[in-house]
Amino acid sequence: MSKSSQVIKSMIRQSGLILLLALAVGLGVNQVRSDRLPLVRSGPAESRSAAADGLTISLEEARRLHETDQALFLDARPEPWFEMGHIQRARNLPPEEIDRLFAQVLGDVPPHRLIVTYCDGENCQLSHDLAFALKQRGFTEVRVLVDGWRLWQEAGLPIEGSGG
Amino acid sequence: MKRGEGLAFLVRLFLGGVFIYAGLDKIIDPAGFAKIIYNYRIVPEISINLIAVCLPWLEFILGVMLVAGIFRPGTLVLVNLLLLIFLGGLVFNLARGLDVHCGCFTTDASGDPATWLAVVRDAILLALSLGLLVKTVRRPDLTGAKVKE
Repeated sequence: MSKSSQVIKSMIRQSGLILLLALAVGLGVNQVRSDRLPLVRSGPAESRSAAADGLTISLEEARRLHETDQALFLDARPEPWFEMGHIQRARNLPPEEIDRLFAQVLGDVPPHRLIVTYCDGENCQLSHDLAFALKQRGFTEVRVLVDGWRLWQEAGLPIEGSGG
Repeated sequence: MKRGEGLAFLVRLFLGGVFIYAGLDKIIDPAGFAKIIYNYRIVPEISINLIAVCLPWLEFILGVMLVAGIFRPGTLVLVNLLLLIFLGGLVFNLARGLDVHCGCFTTDASGDPATWLAVVRDAILLALSLGLLVKTVRRPDLTGAKVKE
């Protein structure tokens, strides 16, 4: 047998061993640490897309918060999209503009106020970025409604805007 | 000591150091790393936490093995594979315009954005580790893989 084929054999065997070792150490360490991660996150179907930060809420929850006016809704999309249409009573705060617009948009909002951020599309990152930026600025109760604009419209919930 | 062996040794030390350094920050903050993986939007959600818990240790262990020079063929295969996967993830998200944090060397969301610079950095590491891998396959005696005649 050639040297090369022997090396390839040991590559496969050793890679497997190393992978097993990493798996064992990773899982073992995770078990003993106080801030361990649950290995499989479980939850209702709506929160399937919940991030590891546990920020997201379901459409049903968001609807209830909106109906009872318990939360301030923040639209994280760029202004033209917001102008065309947004969740009723929502304010517009694209995360990349937060330094410029923060005082104007959230100057009157106390830090413990419940805030729900949203944007459009299941893969839209803006609402997550906005939620994160708000947390960094001291807002304690921030939630994300993933794919919020689409879900909200599809459910026929109250919206406003120019409609263009 | 044969020619080329000294250089290969230095490359091994360097790559090993990079992997140890990259693994440590993520070992400290698996939750932060899980969020970064989530934002990449490539792997199925159910696997995210398992990856966040084990991948940093894999990087760390590979780094230690590179430095120590044990299990060399297997280590190099995995190092190349990881760098290739990282490269693919970076390029994929840059190409589709997703603004993700690299998460390469820190789980701190304020630094280390995924840019083309990160791609170049990964490509350089990949070139180095590929060089070591080729060397191991072609000249197993030289790079310390234990083989029988």
